[in-house]
Amino acid sequence: MQTTAVETPAALRNIETALSRASTDIPALTPLLTAFGPLLAARARLREAAPGWTGPALVIDAERFGQGAFVLAQTEVGGGFEDMSAHLTGAARTLLPIMEQSFPAIAAELKLLGAAIASGALTPKALASAGFGDAAAVPGVSEQTMAFAASELVRPFVERQAQDLAAQVKGLPWPQTCCPVCGGAPNMSVLRRVQEDGEFLQAHGGRRFLRCSSCSTEWTHKRVSCPGCGCEEPDELLVLRDPARVHERADACKRCKAFVLCLDSGELAEVPDPDVAALTMLPLEIQAKQQGFAPLAEHPWSSL
Amino acid sequence: MPKAILIDTTKCTACRGCQVGCKEWKNYPPVATKQRGTHQNPPDLGPYNVKLVRFSEHMESDGTVKWYFFPDACRHCLDAPCKSGASLEDSIIQDKETGAVIYTEKTAKENFEAIKSSCPYDIPRLDPKTKRIVKCDMCIDRVRANLLPMCVKSCAMGAMTFGERSDILKLAATRLVAVQKNNPKAQLCDMENVSIIYLVADAPGKYHKYAVADASDSPGYMTRKEMLAGVFAPLRKATKQLQG
Ligand code: SF4
Ligand code: SF4
Ligand code: SF4
Repeated sequence: MQTTAVETPAALRNIETALSRASTDIPALTPLLTAFGPLLAARARLREAAPGWTGPALVIDAERFGQGAFVLAQTEVGGGFEDMSAHLTGAARTLLPIMEQSFPAIAAELKLLGAAIASGALTPKALASAGFGDAAAVPGVSEQTMAFAASELVRPFVERQAQDLAAQVKGLPWPQTCCPVCGGAPNMSVLRRVQEDGEFLQAHGGRRFLRCSSCSTEWTHKRVSCPGCGCEEPDELLVLRDPARVHERADACKRCKAFVLCLDSGELAEVPDPDVAALTMLPLEIQAKQQGFAPLAEHPWSSL
Repeated sequence: MPKAILIDTTKCTACRGCQVGCKEWKNYPPVATKQRGTHQNPPDLGPYNVKLVRFSEHMESDGTVKWYFFPDACRHCLDAPCKSGASLEDSIIQDKETGAVIYTEKTAKENFEAIKSSCPYDIPRLDPKTKRIVKCDMCIDRVRANLLPMCVKSCAMGAMTFGERSDILKLAATRLVAVQKNNPKAQLCDMENVSIIYLVADAPGKYHKYAVADASDSPGYMTRKEMLAGVFAPLRKATKQLQG
C-alpha cells in the first residue's frame, strides 16, 4: 500500500506558533509549555520519519464498519497496530534526552531507562508492550515513569500508522464515540470550520471532531451529545469555561459525569495544534475534575 | 507572515452579512440612507461603511438579467499607492506581520484628496468628525488576537477565506480552475499586487468600476490612477526631501 505524505513542516510550525502564542497569553502556563513543547515537536518529527502502515492492504467491510467495527478490529493481523519495536531504540535515543531536560524530577529514572534500552536489558518488544500498557520492570524506574515514557515512544509510530489507516475509511459514516481506527477513547475535541464546496449555507459553528487519545485520529461527531453516554438533553449537558478564554471549554455531562475538552476554533484565524491546545486547557481540566467530572481519557500531562 | 483573503464572488449571495458585521465590530454609527431602487445600500463606501456589498445588473444577449455582487473594501495592496501618496512617514503604515495597510490618527494631517486619488480602487474616505481618513484595517485587532476578520467570520456562504498568503494563492488558483469551467472569463483580480483577492466570474468592470486597478482596455497607456500613484508619489517625496 502507498503511504500518504504528511505535511510535517506545517505541523511543526503550527506547534511552534501555538506554543509561543499560548505562553504570551497565559504566562502561568509557561513552565508546562516549555516542558512539553520540545517533546511535542520531537514527536512530530519522528512521526514524519515513521514508516506508516506497511502491512497488507486492508479489506474494510463497510457494513461491519458502519456497525462499529473499527479498522483495527477488522485486520487479520491480530487487531493491533504493526510492531514498531525495531524503531524504538532509535526513538529512545532522540526522545529520552529531551524528556530528561524537560522533566528534571524524573531525569534520573529516564537515564536508567535509556541505559536499559541501549544495553538490551529492556528489549524493544518489552518496551513496545509497555507503550501499550503492559508492565515492564527496570530497576530504579517507577511504574508511572515507565508508562509515561514508553507510551510517548510508541506514539509517533502509532499516529503515523493511524494516518494511513484512517485514509482507508475516509467518507464512511462513523457515528460511534470511539476511534474509527483503533477503538480508543477521545481526550479532546475540536470544532472546526470545514470548507465546503457547496452552494448552500455553511455551518457557522463548524463541525465537531473527537480526537483519539491513543492514535490522534479525528472523526466527526454530533455536536450536542455527550460522547460518554450519548445524552442529548440540554439540561444535562454543561459547558465549563474561563470567560477570558472563550474558545476553550470542557463539555461535561451531569448524567454520566464525564467530560471532554473542546477547542471551538470556528472564529480563530489559525487553528492551534490540538495537543498544544489541550495543554493550555489544563486549568479547565483541573476545574472539571474538581467539580466531580471524569475525563473520557487522560492526556500524558493530566496525571503529573 | 503576510496574510490574504480570497473573496469568491461566485459564492456571494449579497446577503450583506459582511457589511453589517464589519460595521458592528467597528461600532460605527448608523447613516441616513434611502431606497434608491437597488439592493446596494448605502449607495457608496463611507467613513462609517468601510465594507460595501456592491450590486449591479446587466442584460445578457439572450434578454436575461444577470446579477453581480461585489463585497468591496480596501485591497491591502502589497506596495500600497496610498501609502506612497502620503506626505507623512507614519500616517499610513503597513503592518509587517500581516501586510495590512493601516491608517493612523495622523491621517488627519494628510491631504485627503491626494490620498484618495492615489488609491486605484477608490477606497479612502474622510471622517468629517475626526478629519481622519478611514478604510478597512483588515481587522488588525482581531487578527492579532488570532481571530478571523469580522467580515470573513460573518459570511454564511463561505465566500471569504482568510489565511497565509501562500495558502490563499493556492486556493485561489484551484477555485479559478473550477469556476473557469463554466465561466471562461473568470479571473483573479490583480492577484500579484493585492492581499484581498477577488475571484470574479465575468469581466471585472461588470461588477464595479474599480474592481481592478485598471479596467481600461488600452494596455500600454498609463491610467490617471497609475500616473498619480506611480509618478506623483516619488515626486512628492522628493519635494519633501528637498524641503527637508
Ligand atoms: S486599496 Fe487603496 S486604500 Fe487600500 S491599500 Fe490599496 S491603495 Fe491603499
Ligand atoms: S477586514 Fe474588518 S474592517 Fe476590513 S472589511 Fe472586513 S470586517 Fe471590515
Ligand atoms: S456575507 Fe458573504 S454572501 Fe453575504 S454579502 Fe458578504 S460575501 Fe456575500
